[in-house]
Amino acid sequence: MTLDDYDPKQIEKLCRALYTAFGVGCEQATRVPWPTGVGDPADARKLIEHVDSVRAYADDKILYLVHKRLKDRELPSGTAPTHGYSLYGKDRALVTTHGVKNLEEGLKRVTRHSMHQLGHLWDLYHCLDPRCSMYLPWTPSFASGDAIFCSFCRDKSEQKIRLAKS
Amino acid sequence: MAESAPQLSLAVGDRVVYPNQGVCRVFNVDSREVAGQTLTFVSMRREEDGAVVMVPTTKVSSIGLRKLATHDQVAKIFAFLRSDSDKADLDWKQRARTNIDRMTQGGILGLAEVVKGLQVLSELRPLPTKERELYDNARHLLVSEIAASLSISDCDAEDAIDLVLSPPGRERPKRTAEEFKQASASDEEGIELGADILSLGGDLELPSDEEAETEEAAEAAEADGEEEEAAGKGRRAKAGAEAKKASTSDGRAVARHSKSRRKGAAEGSKPKAEAKPRSAKLAAAHQDSKAKRKAGGAKLAKPSTRKKK
Repeated sequence: MTLDDYDPKQIEKLCRALYTAFGVGCEQATRVPWPTGVGDPADARKLIEHVDSVRAYADDKILYLVHKRLKDRELPSGTAPTHGYSLYGKDRALVTTHGVKNLEEGLKRVTRHSMHQLGHLWDLYHCLDPRCSMYLPWTPSFASGDAIFCSFCRDKSEQKIRLAKS
Repeated sequence: MAESAPQLSLAVGDRVVYPNQGVCRVFNVDSREVAGQTLTFVSMRREEDGAVVMVPTTKVSSIGLRKLATHDQVAKIFAFLRSDSDKADLDWKQRARTNIDRMTQGGILGLAEVVKGLQVLSELRPLPTKERELYDNARHLLVSEIAASLSISDCDAEDAIDLVLSPPGRERPKRTAEEFKQASASDEEGIELGADILSLGGDLELPSDEEAETEEAAEAAEADGEEEEAAGKGRRAKAGAEAKKASTSDGRAVARHSKSRRKGAAEGSKPKAEAKPRSAKLAAAHQDSKAKRKAGGAKLAKPSTRKKK
């Protein structure tokens, strides 16, 4: 689901890439309005809590795409750069395309970030393999990697999806 | 450890940590009759998926049930993760035992030690599947406990851990085996390294050993070949020239033997398990070189017979 304007064809390509990655259908839902009080740059926690939802099945996962920059989060151990946010093991994730001028050119990078946040929804944790999309998103090499999972993360996500379907 | 730990008093609503299971919340403490005995059970529900666990109060300490970590304890965990701690043992058996003990009895610090130790080890070489699963499990438990303790989301808890383990803007370092060898240098036995070389995780060690073996085999083969050539020349040539050549070639052969002996002495400290494959390879190389030299000697003999004629 998008909160800003995106080319439907590029969103379609993103959906196809996510379908290939997770093996479950992915479709573009409606555009929803920005909730009030999230500020600029947007507070990812508030945004994901207050944004409108869409009618979905219990095991559906919703990915919100925004163009606005997300505010760095103040955590007990320091300040974390925020490229996305997700409710681990639940149904909502958020990804920003800030810094990507053209979705067509930056589709691989956006797909990788999307796979990362959706992976958290399927109980995947950060991975040690730099080639995997579950690798730390704030490392310099993350944006240039391919939109793939390592074998461990892929097996784990498939297992979780199978359990959810059964 | 379980015996020395103070008895934990649990009440309804308490949040506790069940080792290897995660954060649970107590919802009932009652007595039940089981096999003719009346026992008091603590019923708790795992917060992650709602699974129910009943534990007799007499077993609470032995299982390792503990209260949720406090803010101070979590701060110490972050400090530990930020520090340059001891490197993991390269012996996979020892490492597995240590990690299992840490997971079951080490508390939240034990979980942090497992996560950090395996992460640092992964900077040396990729983790085998079982250790990757252990790392994932430890990370999961650590994230959920820190999130529950600080009342933050799992996403924030995991990012807080990774901020200290791998600060933003930097790639994770690549480590060498020497850093780990220094950590285990205090151990008397060098078998750990040998066992590691033989284990699945010891892939990085093998190529250099194999290359050294092939080099030794080649040198030994050359030494054998030169000895045989020298002997062949001694039969054909004049006595004085032959003696000189033999002596020089023997001298070269002796020099090469002493080299191989020195190398053999150096490798004597390595475990016996490694000697077998090397000697088998050397023996095979010897045989090959001998066969070749014999064939070569036979070829050399022909011109001499022709010359005689």
